[in-house]
Amino acid sequence: MNAGNPSAASSPAGSIYDLGYRHYEGKRHGRWFAAWSLYVDSLRGIWGFGRPVSAKAAPFILAGLYALPAVIVLAFSASLSKSIASGATNPADLPNYANYFGGIGTFIVLFLVAQAPEVVCRDQRYQVLPLYFTRAMGRSDYAMARLLSLATALFLVLMVPVIALFIGDILMGTDAFKAVGSEWPKALPSIPSNLLIAASMASIALALSSYSPRRAYAAVGVLAYFLLVEFVPIVIYGIGHEAGAKWVDVLPLLTPITGLTRANDWFFGTPIPADFPSSIGAGAYVLAGLVSTLLFTGILVWRYRRIAA
Amino acid sequence: MSLIETASLTKDYGPVKALAGLDLRVEPGIIGLVGANGAGKSTLLKILLGLLAPTSGSASVLGMDIGAEAGEIRKVVGYMPEHDCLPPDVGATEFVTHMARISGLPRTAARERTAEVLRHVGLYEERYRQIGGYSTGMKQRVKLAQALAHDPKLLLLDEPTNGLDPGGRDEMLDLIKRTGTDFGISVVVASHLLGEIEQVCTYLLAIDAGRLLQSAPISTFTQRTPVVAVEVEEGADRLAAALSGRGFQARQDGACVLLALEDESLYDAIRDSVAELSLPLVRIQQERRRLEDIFRDDAPAAGGVQ
Repeated sequence: MNAGNPSAASSPAGSIYDLGYRHYEGKRHGRWFAAWSLYVDSLRGIWGFGRPVSAKAAPFILAGLYALPAVIVLAFSASLSKSIASGATNPADLPNYANYFGGIGTFIVLFLVAQAPEVVCRDQRYQVLPLYFTRAMGRSDYAMARLLSLATALFLVLMVPVIALFIGDILMGTDAFKAVGSEWPKALPSIPSNLLIAASMASIALALSSYSPRRAYAAVGVLAYFLLVEFVPIVIYGIGHEAGAKWVDVLPLLTPITGLTRANDWFFGTPIPADFPSSIGAGAYVLAGLVSTLLFTGILVWRYRRIAA
Repeated sequence: MSLIETASLTKDYGPVKALAGLDLRVEPGIIGLVGANGAGKSTLLKILLGLLAPTSGSASVLGMDIGAEAGEIRKVVGYMPEHDCLPPDVGATEFVTHMARISGLPRTAARERTAEVLRHVGLYEERYRQIGGYSTGMKQRVKLAQALAHDPKLLLLDEPTNGLDPGGRDEMLDLIKRTGTDFGISVVVASHLLGEIEQVCTYLLAIDAGRLLQSAPISTFTQRTPVVAVEVEEGADRLAAALSGRGFQARQDGACVLLALEDESLYDAIRDSVAELSLPLVRIQQERRRLEDIFRDDAPAAGGVQ
């Protein structure tokens, strides 16, 4: 906002030509505009815009890391297409739309550990919340605007490699126009799948972060949740499965990243790996992702309804 | 339409009663809300703003109910909290513009208003610098600016002079006074310092332990009251007795005798009594009641609803 009108205000002469206080007679928007303004500001904040340069480092580096394999494929698409044609490289071994999240989805956790606390902790730490809650905005509006901004940022991070792979695949083909026609149906399931991943992971990370005014504690909390809830159910499932227990089959549904990987499989129609219980279909993981999103969004909204301001 | 109205407004924090059945009604103006720390000032402001829900009772701001029309109230009030509320890593211009937009002002209008209010509160070149580097006085100005950004009809200021040096304090008070008189915005100033209230406010609300102690225009506290003080170097007790004997209401207060002034014959009686008792007279003065008197134990009982 440094482009603000300097006008007479910054010059010493400003006091001489002081027009006195003028009332504002213009348009006043309501809560939706307020929520939209917060959403936009929050989205800018996640990427460090309007903040010092140091605030831009973490989000861009972490988003870049997630996109790196796809960018490498894009960079070497010419030589890769030759190597595929000669049979030296199996295309299934390369990153593609369907296996990308399953391959390096854990990098998304790092992005959330770094940026989710950024979204909500500052306002508690610096006690800015009363200023929001006494304006044309409700507490739930605040929580939802913050959540949507993080989910949007996450969706962008998830979609960059999809776009890179798409461009790479078009370049690999001989006929670009024909390639676009044959490629986009393959890439299309990425959109609903990444929407679910972004909504689900953002809601978990933000709900947890909202319970601490300190960034560091929030970051540790988010990391601990994704690590513990990822591995504990899988370990228990492994033990129970060997013991022949049937009820342990539902445990993989609880895992955040593996669960979303299976949901991603459902969107792309990839068969579930053999080491997963066959009694739970891939569709159940999609449902589990939706339920988790609703649950953590509820926790987040509840937190802001109760928080003292 | 009254500015603020409450009816048996009560707020409990567990066993602690922050507000105990507060009834008040004030008209637009610059209102001083005074009370000791913990008297319930901040609690009252927060309830009026909808930040806290009252335990029982009702209240309205600018004729709007705090429960049913909380959203409408928030559009037309500005709030300056007692505590720090500014993120350190953004500039004042950016922060105030953001807050103006959250209040519903379109982007260009928000920028114009921001430039205007920052100039009004006296922030110039430094407004693009990060707030973290500001002095306390500058931060208080930014806090006031964000409360004014959307041109509210009512400003609620919680201890606006907190942490300011005497110079900064006078400037802030002057700013508040201008806001109330020149800008035509009603202001409620919560403070524990009576001197400040006396300086800028037109109306006083005094609360203590969650109850209303006084509610009246400032002038009634500072106007001449029909009390005559007679100070003598010695024998105040004898003088009081003599004047009581002549049928006047007299009360000894240290070296002074306080007398209710009903008619001019009192002065003759004082002259005669002092002469008869040959007392060394220091002064005879019609007393000005001070604001502090209302917090004295022997002060007249709480005024109640005005």
